[in-house]
Amino acid sequence: MEFTWYEFTWAIINFLVILAILYKFFYNPVIKFLDNRSDEIRRNITEAEQARAEAEAMLEDYRNKLAGARQEAQEIVARATRVGEEARAALLEQSRAEAATLLEKAHQEIQRERDEALKALRQEVATLAVMVAEKILGRTVAKEDHIKMVDQFLDEVGEVH
Amino acid sequence: MKGVREVEGHTSDILFKIFGLPVTSHVTTMWAIMAVLFILGLVVSRNLQKVPGRLQSLAEFTIEGLLNFFGGILGPEKARRYFPFLATFFLFILFSNWSGIFPGAGHLKGFKPPTSTWSVTIGLAIVVFVLVQVAGIREKGLGYLAHFIKPIPLLLPLNIIEELVKPLSLSLRLYGNIFGEETVAAVLFSLAPYFSPIPMQILGILFGFIQALVFTTLAAIYISTATAEGH
Repeated sequence: MEFTWYEFTWAIINFLVILAILYKFFYNPVIKFLDNRSDEIRRNITEAEQARAEAEAMLEDYRNKLAGARQEAQEIVARATRVGEEARAALLEQSRAEAATLLEKAHQEIQRERDEALKALRQEVATLAVMVAEKILGRTVAKEDHIKMVDQFLDEVGEVH
Repeated sequence: MKGVREVEGHTSDILFKIFGLPVTSHVTTMWAIMAVLFILGLVVSRNLQKVPGRLQSLAEFTIEGLLNFFGGILGPEKARRYFPFLATFFLFILFSNWSGIFPGAGHLKGFKPPTSTWSVTIGLAIVVFVLVQVAGIREKGLGYLAHFIKPIPLLLPLNIIEELVKPLSLSLRLYGNIFGEETVAAVLFSLAPYFSPIPMQILGILFGFIQALVFTTLAAIYISTATAEGH
């Protein structure tokens, strides 16, 4: 085993030199680089998680909105149906009323026509009765008979009325 | 048996001097390892992609694996603080150990696994020793120094010896293992140059990793002990 001071000294000098060199050109840049990359990866993961949370919130929001829109649409349809129903009912009611009015008018018309016809008939009947009476009176009918017959006739006519 | 003698380091092996400090094959090999680590680090860090390629994956795996490993010993916060030191111990020792696997290690001029000499391993262990003391004082202030006289002041010499034995055992364990392995490989090579060193080289990959891990783990444990709360 040999020991020399100069090799001992060189060993220390060389170690310190390579320590400085490796620190400056190897450890420092590589460790800094690794740290940066770790930070970046960590940051990316955090960002991705945030983005996912945001997307989920957005999805939830859209779902809610969609449900709301659907409900609204249903309400609109229901309202429209109700309005249509009401309009139909109103129209029907109106038509019914109109029809009733027309029917009433028609009845009245018929009544009037009948009344007129009756009146005309009565005149006709009276005229005819007078003519018939003249003829009969002109031959055999007594005065009492005549009165009796007219009375009777008038009664009959009145019954018809 | 020339090879064995060279591995044992008996022959003076000074290649040249810088500022009066002799440079040996262990030192030049350290420089080569430093250059490799520097280039690998640079290639990875200059071209960091969010989706990593093979080399980047390996680098990320190494750094994250070591960080988690030290985190298990020191806790995540201290593991980050002392990571550069611990990771450099690991990588530098690992590459040093593995450099001995290459053919010609210990034979070629200027190429000897740095961790196969105690001079280098004790140098690294002394760095651990200083680091542990500094970490203890930094994390716990004067409370750290108080542990030398606990549980009773009488144990002060023993506590100091315990502290000094730590780098000694660290360096001797690493040096002994790598040097022994190198020696066995060299002996096998000198007996039968072809094929016989291959099993030793394969084991060398495993041992090199284990020894680097043991050294680094113990360093982390020493730091953990020195900086532990309520000690």
